Amino acid sequence: MQINQFNEVISACRFCFMCRHLSAVGLVSCRESDTPRGRALIADRIRMHPEELGNPDFVDTIYRSDLSGANRFHCDGYHDGSGYDEVGLQLALRRDIVEAGFAPESVKAIAAEFQSSENWSIEGSGEVLYFIDPCTAARPDTTAAVAKVLNRAGVPFATIRGGCIGKALAVLGFASEAETAMRKFAAAVNATGIKTLLVSSPAAADALRNDFKTAGVELKPEVRFTAGYFVELAEKGKLRFSTRNFAASYLASDYLKNYLRCDCAEKLLALLGIENRQFGTNPEESFTAGEGALVLARLHPELAKQLAARIAARAEPGIPLITASAYTADLLAAAGADVSTLDEVAAEALC
Amino acid sequence: MQLAKDNYMYQMVRCELVDAVGREFVNSGDADGLGHSIDYYWIPEMWHDRGGAPQRPDFVVHPGSSEEVAKVLKIANQYKIPVTPWGGGSGSQGGALPVYGGIILDMKRMNKVIEIDERTLSVTCETGINAQHLEWAVEKAGYSTMHFPASIACATIGGFLAHRGTGVLSTKYGKIEDMVMSLEVVTPTGEIIHTLPVPRHASGPDLTMLFLGSEGTLGVMTKVTLKIHPIPESRKFHAFLFPDMHTAMTAGAGLMHSRLQPCAIRLYDGPETARLIKRVLGIDRVGAYLVFGFDGPEKIVDLQMERACEICRAAGPKEDLGTESGEAWWRNRYKFFYPPYMFHMPQAFGTLDTVATFSKIEDVYWAMKKTVEENFPEANFIGHFSHWYDWGCMLYARFIFEKAPEDPAEAAALYNRVWDLAIRAAIGAGGVINAHHGVGLRLGRLMQERYGPAMTVLEGVKKQLDPNNIMNPGKLGFKGV
Ligand SMILES: Cc1cc2nc3c(=O)[nH]c(=O)nc-3n(C[C@H](O)[C@H](O)[C@H](O)COP(=O)(O)OP(=O)(O)OC[C@H]3O[C@@H](n4cnc5c(N)ncnc54)[C@H](O)[C@@H]3O)c2cc1C
Ligand code: SF4
Repeated sequence: MQINQFNEVISACRFCFMCRHLSAVGLVSCRESDTPRGRALIADRIRMHPEELGNPDFVDTIYRSDLSGANRFHCDGYHDGSGYDEVGLQLALRRDIVEAGFAPESVKAIAAEFQSSENWSIEGSGEVLYFIDPCTAARPDTTAAVAKVLNRAGVPFATIRGGCIGKALAVLGFASEAETAMRKFAAAVNATGIKTLLVSSPAAADALRNDFKTAGVELKPEVRFTAGYFVELAEKGKLRFSTRNFAASYLASDYLKNYLRCDCAEKLLALLGIENRQFGTNPEESFTAGEGALVLARLHPELAKQLAARIAARAEPGIPLITASAYTADLLAAAGADVSTLDEVAAEALC
Repeated sequence: MQLAKDNYMYQMVRCELVDAVGREFVNSGDADGLGHSIDYYWIPEMWHDRGGAPQRPDFVVHPGSSEEVAKVLKIANQYKIPVTPWGGGSGSQGGALPVYGGIILDMKRMNKVIEIDERTLSVTCETGINAQHLEWAVEKAGYSTMHFPASIACATIGGFLAHRGTGVLSTKYGKIEDMVMSLEVVTPTGEIIHTLPVPRHASGPDLTMLFLGSEGTLGVMTKVTLKIHPIPESRKFHAFLFPDMHTAMTAGAGLMHSRLQPCAIRLYDGPETARLIKRVLGIDRVGAYLVFGFDGPEKIVDLQMERACEICRAAGPKEDLGTESGEAWWRNRYKFFYPPYMFHMPQAFGTLDTVATFSKIEDVYWAMKKTVEENFPEANFIGHFSHWYDWGCMLYARFIFEKAPEDPAEAAALYNRVWDLAIRAAIGAGGVINAHHGVGLRLGRLMQERYGPAMTVLEGVKKQLDPNNIMNPGKLGFKGV
């Protein structure tokens, strides 16, 4: 079983309570099982009693997780950056569940949809290829904002859209299907000869930078996240932003902060002159409504709504929210929050 | 009463619970059952590790208000179903384990900060709030609870109240019982009661204190008002190495006798200095490591620090380890509890915390050490002293077996025997059953022994408040089902 590669993590987390205060799903469900300890206990039980892998309640719990990297990040802080990879354990459990044929119908349906939707379409030409993933595509304000910024900088760009690059499949536990999707995407991108692949989705950035490498899939262009790319364009004098002079709370992206350890969002906000007001009471929790799980809002819509409502309820009146991912922005907007994506904020600040 | 899932009675009770708190807050799934079958007590961990399935609850119920708690307790009384409150499950004494099945009353949904009163300097909150979340909320308002236990991120405020827990700054700010102003409690029969609004009065015996430390056996604490404090301008630490524990203890007691106000003092015996101070802080020395700190206005901190260092120097240290070694301890104070720094399976280990006066505390240490080492030569015994008072301090002793017997019954027997002998040795030398982790399942059997006839007073209170014995039966030395 895949989880056997994570025996050390299971042994560490199964009796450890030290990061439970950061389990976003656990904080809304209040369930013991929705914490790294709870999930590691399940993995441990399965390790000892493999016949329990198909226990529907275990399976449901493993797919309820928001896969936030906040717990791992916290743990790393106490282990000089090499804490226990409890997210890796959850992903391994999901792969085991899928391989053994225990994936719930809802999971299979979403996976099937992602597999059948590959129909890469490339429009335009230029020095940058902007990948519009399905989540960002669902938020036209963000894609329009990116186009506006690139146009203003005089950067000719093409777009690619129309499928899953494997991240959602990987997150759902469909490892080999994810790899196939990666290869198809890489082939389509590599064939363009474009040197820079630009993404607005932190999950896509993580997939393209980390997952592709792990799977041994070669991607020729350099992968850039919009916020970091915009900062670079500004530094080169290709973009000018007006100072915004207002306070907002940036809700740190799980993928950027906890997976990629990238602070480009904070840099962009500083460049725009936006006072980044600490959200909630602390910088450790994941306030992304399940960004790490990518399709949580489809798998467990009520849970995703609860996560979003918890965040919206903590927003300070008059202080807008800024997110990196369109996924989180859409969920928060539906929960009544005043929210924009980084790309949208950048486009608004163009001089 | 034990309920089988295929029994119609189970469904009857379930329907009533759903009616009380809502469908999504009554859970009887295996995942949560597993999570609630194990707390931080070594025995259920070991049982699970050996492939066994510790007792699971029939229902996990998440009440959202005191009124919902009351409804659940009334249902439980009606059918005489055991109810075990559960906070974060981080208790080390098995207090939150549903040993007879029944209802786990998971308090984590009751997590609101109700009011921060800046004129009184107090915070009122629901007790299911995670202690770190409460601290963060209070800090955002510019204050601190000053309650910094190593399990701040693991445990709820209710759990600390139930176990009379303590944090690393207790020497100045007190244990949790010193921080409480007043409580709301749902009694076992479902009445919502409030204790007096202030902790100092002459209006009869102290009802608040009756519930603090009651470990879920006398009711459910649902709201609490705690003192809060301004965030100090400065907090500084300093460390010394002493040739032995006795000299270090003389220095530590000297600090307390001087009536300076250290916020923390911690003294590690030779073996723990060699093992943990080296591993976690990288300070590789032979001797007893003593660290202390002060907080408040910087000038006062500096003055107190200067005087404290004089006291330590007069006691004959081996080395002045300086400020940085003290600050390193403060920065890493929680690191000791993360795996792999913390002891864990296959090791068998336990924290034998106790407390005694300065005239007895070293005797208690040696009595426990001798008992453990003579009876269990394969075990290691280490200890440190934290939570200091005008009159004495707490001993946080630990025994560690690198490996326990594979057979779970044998492992449990060995484990229990260490506890019996070591705690009896502590009591014999002037200590008590426990200092801040509570009694729970682990030490209940020693309550009668320690309290003698006074135990009937506690039993009388229990019987009066909980006539059907539904609240956490079998814990704190009270009768099981
Ligand atoms: C790594 C680690 C470090 C620790 N360090 C410390 C430390 O520094 N200081 C310290 O004091 N303890 C420490 N502990 C022990 C533990 O955190 C405390 O005993 C804490 O009080 C338990 O709180 P909990 O919310 O987890 O309670 P649980 O374990 O869930 O429950 C403990 C007991 O309280 C009862 N209870 C819970 N909530 C309520 C309520 N609202 N009303 C009535 N009864 C209730 C339960 O029935 C049970 O009997 C540590 C534990 C761990 C795992
Ligand atoms: S990730 Fe680290 S802190 Fe969290 S449960 Fe695992 S070992 Fe403990």
